[in-house]
Amino acid sequence: MGADVKFKGLLAVACVTASVLAAPAARADEDLKIGVIAALSGGGTAWGLGLQRGTQIALDEVNAAGGLKIDGKTYKFSLIAYDDQYNAAQAKTAVDRLVQQDGVKFIMGPVGSPGALSSLAVTQPAKVLQFVDGYAPGILKNDFNAAYIFRVDNSNLEFSAPVVSWVKQTMPEVRKIGMIVPNDATGQAAVPTLIGAYKVQGYDVWVDYYERGSKEFTPILLRMMAQNVDLFDLNSAAPGDAGLMVKQVRQIGFKGKVLQAGGAGVDEIMTIAGPHANGFIKYDVVNEAEPQSKPLVDTYAKKYSGPMNGMVPVYYNATQILLEAMRRANSIDTTKVRDEVEKLEGWNTALYGPLRWGGKAAYGNNHQILLPFYMKQVDGKTVSVKATLQPNN
Amino acid sequence: MFSPVMLGQVFVNGVSLSAIYILVALGFTLLFGIMRVVNFAHGSFAMLGGYALYFMYGEWHLPYLLAAPLAAMTVAVVALVFERAVFRLFYQKMFQSMIALLGLDMAITFTALLLWNPYERSVPTPLGGVLQWGGLIVPEDKLVITGVAAVALAAFWIFTRYTRHGLALRAASQDLEMAEAQGVNTTALYRLAFLIAIFMAALAGGFYAQTYSLSPMMGERPLLMAFIVVILGGMGSIPGVALGGLLLGFSESALSTYYGAAVSTFASFGVVFLLLIFRPWGILGTPEHD
Repeated sequence: MGADVKFKGLLAVACVTASVLAAPAARADEDLKIGVIAALSGGGTAWGLGLQRGTQIALDEVNAAGGLKIDGKTYKFSLIAYDDQYNAAQAKTAVDRLVQQDGVKFIMGPVGSPGALSSLAVTQPAKVLQFVDGYAPGILKNDFNAAYIFRVDNSNLEFSAPVVSWVKQTMPEVRKIGMIVPNDATGQAAVPTLIGAYKVQGYDVWVDYYERGSKEFTPILLRMMAQNVDLFDLNSAAPGDAGLMVKQVRQIGFKGKVLQAGGAGVDEIMTIAGPHANGFIKYDVVNEAEPQSKPLVDTYAKKYSGPMNGMVPVYYNATQILLEAMRRANSIDTTKVRDEVEKLEGWNTALYGPLRWGGKAAYGNNHQILLPFYMKQVDGKTVSVKATLQPNN
Repeated sequence: MFSPVMLGQVFVNGVSLSAIYILVALGFTLLFGIMRVVNFAHGSFAMLGGYALYFMYGEWHLPYLLAAPLAAMTVAVVALVFERAVFRLFYQKMFQSMIALLGLDMAITFTALLLWNPYERSVPTPLGGVLQWGGLIVPEDKLVITGVAAVALAAFWIFTRYTRHGLALRAASQDLEMAEAQGVNTTALYRLAFLIAIFMAALAGGFYAQTYSLSPMMGERPLLMAFIVVILGGMGSIPGVALGGLLLGFSESALSTYYGAAVSTFASFGVVFLLLIFRPWGILGTPEHD
């Protein structure tokens, strides 16, 4: 009797142990980590949060649909995010951690040339597939020939000429442009493209530089005003800096046009500049009023507080491109996925219609996305779309 | 570029910049002057002052003249917990205090990040317009800051020169043991100095957030500015804060306007660099003796 009880006890323990051990095998979901490098503090926070949230929404959708079936396995996705504070050194630290410590093979970000350029040296030799947003040509035109990197937003080379042509057409009174340019890789490598586009159209351009994170622009804005500029272009200023520039330039009595050919996100600038933002014109990559944007706008509003920055649609779109390429490659091997991303030309994206890759002439490869974009204007507390433009290729 | 209007505007900008710098640096120099504490958490208390004003004035709509001092006082009173738990351990320990308070700064900043998200916000201002005199333009919010900075500076001066507690603070800062031997209760005195210093930091933070923007990370800049101002003027010297603030504000205004931001930044840090080599106790400070 005693032996029987002991045997039954052992049997029960064995059954429980077996069921516990077997449980994960029955679920059989693999967790695939997607890295995010984003500015989650400082002046570029709006962009960084947009990147993170856009990626997260796309991953949530695929996870909610049961995950992605690849080569007989079902993958669910999780996200590991590190803050790069919109600077090169922190981005390098973040990419080292993602690649060396976390073993991530797919990275979204960074946004911004300093971080994007500094991360290349780690991701490209390691064959880590990276989707960045920064305006410097060197992000795609480099010794690696952008082997494992795609730029998932327009850069200055794509939008400058169309924006300047639009300015020429709609603001004939403008003769002289003023720019205060961030004194970093973006300002030095990318903004000259925008300056060149203005000069080609016959504009006189006055330029000075500022350190990102500056809060007081009044003296330098006064210097700019003394040059009798008609239009102040905020170029690649982050939303925090751009909002302060808009506020301060109006506070010192500038009556000309204020426009930003670059960046993304109008709401943050309106929040900081308040009523001084009235009349401000801004390049953006999403038109919230279009029907194809509505599901994303609604999902964002349910899930998060705060404004939906332009990086949300850019990275929602980029993540969907990555997932579709994985599906088609039936693999998570980065080379096979990279090849499928290249072949996705014409695939109908949820937000922007048929996917377009370009950049061969400018960068030597076709890893540059071509997105339609919008010129928006602040009218009181609302924002209206003044024009829809197509990027240069 | 050198027209009377332009020169006048450079002057106006210089005054408003100096006012912000003075306001931010006053609390910083007080803590160092009395307790020999380098308060690297100064910026985070300024940030807390910004959030307190944001909620009291922007969200709860208290009258502004009540909200501004109440917000600063709330932060100062709550900060007494840190005085007891952290600061008190590092009084008269300059180098140890730097590291400890840097840690405290990070703890406060990242707690704020978790509580209030990293988005930059705007703190509404009761005076958002501009005043024009001839060609000169003065933003009203900066005029308010200039007035508050002038009053705060004068109040500090009077407090430390002519009040019983102020004289006791000066006595303790000059010779701690002698002051205690004369019956000065340094624990209570330090608590008072701490309360005033954090009140000033939080008040400055409120104005700073109103003039620029508010976020958990906003404290870095005020801390840097306070540090430069007190190094220029002399650590612990209240007249030094006035002089340092004016030097920094006017040089930034003039150099940025006429020669650009890069020259201005280079000159500001260049002067601090030279000062640290040739007169490390600052223009109006006094050298430390063993």
